[in-house]
Amino acid sequence: MEFKDNIPIYLQIEQYLYRQIAMGKLKAGEKIPSVRKLAVELTVNVNTVQRALQQMNDQGILYTKRGEGNFVTEDTDLLKQTKQSLIDGQLEQFVQNMMRLGLKKEELVPALSKYLEGNKNERPTNN
Amino acid sequence: MKDLLTIKDLSYKKNQKLILRDVNLSLKPGKIVALLGENGAGKTTLMRIIAGVAKNYKGSVTLKDTNDVAKRKSFLSFTDGLTGFSESTKIGDVVNFYVNIFNDFDENEFDELRKFMKLDPDMKLSQLSRGIREKLIIALNFARQADLYLLDEPFAGIDPMARKRIINSIILWKSEQSTILISDHFVDQIAALLDEVVVIKNNTVFAHKTADKIREEHKSIEEYYEGLYEGEDE
Repeated sequence: MEFKDNIPIYLQIEQYLYRQIAMGKLKAGEKIPSVRKLAVELTVNVNTVQRALQQMNDQGILYTKRGEGNFVTEDTDLLKQTKQSLIDGQLEQFVQNMMRLGLKKEELVPALSKYLEGNKNERPTNN
Repeated sequence: MKDLLTIKDLSYKKNQKLILRDVNLSLKPGKIVALLGENGAGKTTLMRIIAGVAKNYKGSVTLKDTNDVAKRKSFLSFTDGLTGFSESTKIGDVVNFYVNIFNDFDENEFDELRKFMKLDPDMKLSQLSRGIREKLIIALNFARQADLYLLDEPFAGIDPMARKRIINSIILWKSEQSTILISDHFVDQIAALLDEVVVIKNNTVFAHKTADKIREEHKSIEEYYEGLYEGEDE
């Protein structure tokens, strides 16, 4: 994974794990890879991974079993909330970018519908 | 947390030329720290002083609460480019030398590192490319159970694959409590690995900052480092 060098790496690791969870690659109650394994996988410092996991523990999205490692929470409401905030974040970026291009709020939904319609026609097999 | 290394009011001259002055620096255990600065800024000299190789400096260097040079040497690992060995020495003989000299040199650990780095013990130093030589130096360093590892420009002039191996060996072999000081004159290749950055400029420690702090100010480490030289003529 490539990291942006002007954003704290621990925040990017958090985002990466949140996405893994939201996409279902890491499931509720599942054990996440060990700190060192994650560090090698992402080519980052062990301390940085630890900081990210600590924050996610504090937020309740992960929990630690002593001597066993870190697990994804089984609190489905929290998982839903987490996914929703990822979606909100993406939507916010989308809206900001569109408004920078000069679209008004009321033009967003028609523009998006038109795009989705067009896409459907071009690639009918690709839903 | 208590400091691992403390340098106070350090100055160093060589042939009456000032190399370092008023250097103050503290490092905590368990960190990966970059020592940055232009060529000739004094990075190697500072490492040699910490390592106890360069002597006759003013000021104090304390490692794990001791000022004693012999004790300090036993707590740290610094490989001076293998310059003490003749070029016809085989890797295996370099290893035997290390086993005899350093009590904390773990042969099994070295064997693991040797396999990881794909080094052939029968090769002679003269046969080693720049990258393989650096891999050997790193393997020799990490086979010791030191508190402080001093790596002097391990990435200079080596290919990306060798660099990747070395970076992974750092992640895999660094123990939780040990600190690694890595010197380099550019930073982008190891930026993701760093806890802290120390910059040598104007013959002293010009800046010392954590990587997270720099990035929280929305700067990359490279931008931060280059920013310290802004407005100066090349």
